[in-house]
Amino acid sequence: MTKMSDEAKASRALATLTELYAESVEAATSAELDRGLDALLARAASGRTGRPGLVRWSLVGATVALSTLVALQVTSVVQKRMRALEPATLAYSIDGGSVLEGGYLRESGHAGINVLFNEGSKLALTPGTRGRLRTVDREGALVNIEHGTASFQVTPSNSRRWLIDVGPFLVTVKGTVFTVSWDPLREEFELRLKQGHVVVSGPVSAGEIALRTGQHLVVNLATSATVITEDKPGQESDSIAAPAQQSVATPAVQPPGAIEKPGGRSHAAVSVPARPTKAVDLLPWSDELARGHWDRILEDVERIGVETTLSKASSKDLFALADAARYRRRPDLARAALLAERQRFPDSPRSLDALYLLGRAEESREGGAVQALGWYDQYLARALGGPFVGEALGRKMILTDKLQGSAQARPIAEDYLRRFPKGSYAGSARALIRVQ
Amino acid sequence: MVTQHPHAPLSLVVTQDRRAATDGDVARGMMMGDEWAIAETWRRFAPMVLRMAKRILGSQSEAEDVGQEVFYRVFRKAKLLREPDSLRSFVYACAMRSLKTELRRRKLRAWLHFDKPEVLACLGSRTLDVESRDLLRRFHGLLERLNARDRLVFVLRRMESMTVEEVAASMEISESTVKRSMTHASNRLSHWIAADPGLAGLLDGERWGQ
Repeated sequence: MTKMSDEAKASRALATLTELYAESVEAATSAELDRGLDALLARAASGRTGRPGLVRWSLVGATVALSTLVALQVTSVVQKRMRALEPATLAYSIDGGSVLEGGYLRESGHAGINVLFNEGSKLALTPGTRGRLRTVDREGALVNIEHGTASFQVTPSNSRRWLIDVGPFLVTVKGTVFTVSWDPLREEFELRLKQGHVVVSGPVSAGEIALRTGQHLVVNLATSATVITEDKPGQESDSIAAPAQQSVATPAVQPPGAIEKPGGRSHAAVSVPARPTKAVDLLPWSDELARGHWDRILEDVERIGVETTLSKASSKDLFALADAARYRRRPDLARAALLAERQRFPDSPRSLDALYLLGRAEESREGGAVQALGWYDQYLARALGGPFVGEALGRKMILTDKLQGSAQARPIAEDYLRRFPKGSYAGSARALIRVQ
Repeated sequence: MVTQHPHAPLSLVVTQDRRAATDGDVARGMMMGDEWAIAETWRRFAPMVLRMAKRILGSQSEAEDVGQEVFYRVFRKAKLLREPDSLRSFVYACAMRSLKTELRRRKLRAWLHFDKPEVLACLGSRTLDVESRDLLRRFHGLLERLNARDRLVFVLRRMESMTVEEVAASMEISESTVKRSMTHASNRLSHWIAADPGLAGLLDGERWGQ
């Protein structure tokens, strides 16, 4: 009777989990579908043909036999090395609190909690924050922040995976310093990245959001607003000791009507133009862009005039305009905005990024593939370690394949896989190498 | 003199509204190598294939890779399609073959310790709380333990709501094999759920109010 009851419970649990699992997968976004179609058409256009069946199968047979021999030899060596390289289990000590059953962290005073891990990582919860150490093992750690603010300093490691569950968001991190908060009442998520890279997944329209050093993300689910801003240098202390107050809970979103001012991070390396011009008082286009209000930006340009905008808008607004124009398939306007950015702010970090975006704008123009390739080459030559290197290399691979054939594209594909084995174009790169 | 093109039948698809074209018209367009037909095939079937791949693989990036493989295979093999009207089944069959290959390759990689299994990225729904996501990660771990065929059958039958006949046709196996695989997968998963202390709360019905 008990056995029957257990079987029924397990069966019900299986049904519940299956339903939850199926529903957790969301449909592909239009951006994902567009990107996939681009890659597919590029592959199809290259018109590759397979080897004759007999030759191919002979090669497959020989490869399998050889691989089996090599694999048997290598496996034992690899397994020994893997065992030797396995990281030690993470251990931690707690200052200012204790751990309850289930991993919940309880504060003993009113100064917050500090958790110190044996490999150097640190976690600091502000007073009143409810956090939980769900899993801490040799693979890494899974931490929940149910509400409040927490700061992390994660020691870089290839063998450990750190996952931070914050409300409905998941932050995937390798090695970085950041502060994250979740306010369940306002349904507001906030992440301020001081150093490194993180990827935020959750209920946001753009899917995963990758953030780089100095960026500040605020997502408000109630108003469906997603805003990414850049912090000014020195705005945040680098220390991650438990802060005495929830200073980062206040979003640093640009107020409406604000324009980019010298001294902001994005202007730190900007040289003053030879003929200083007063920036026109535009709406905060970066905010409009983040909310997906591309048409409003373009309407503003119509109202102000293209020439005036290009000659007087700030660097940040020119960039937002370029993005809005690209999204609305107006490559000429995007190109003009990016060229203005390069001409007026030649020393700005955005000026380098503009090289990559010029390539994207050219690609969306009929017959612009050759020019796009030229822009990508320029970007890759100048922006070593830039934020779009992976994308530029991937696009270069696709265009080279399309324009010059797979033989020319193969070295680029190999380079891409070596540098970005899990990048967006890894599948296309592998396919390109395989087909050859 | 009459020239025969057995794999490139005459088609009226060019003059039709492409969005209104039948699957057969689209398939015939692909046989002729028309770019619009490739794009239309992607538009019609990619959402379904990508969603299914995400459910089966539990990984966004791998699902995208497999999606590319599936549609490139469809494009290359379109000329072998004897019945253009059965394009949907053809796409499903290609998807099944690619997914099965990917699952087997993943098992091999795991066995060789070359790669760690990717963490399930079951995200995007604001209705999922932390506890639910943790449960899903555990469940994904159990699905990873099934063999490729059982896993495919289970996902198609229970998550894609396909009939036994449809599963059998897509996977090119008999209906009795589908039923056997389904029973095997369900029994094993139920057994593993019962043995997983992390899912004990679920079994006790505390969380789900059962």
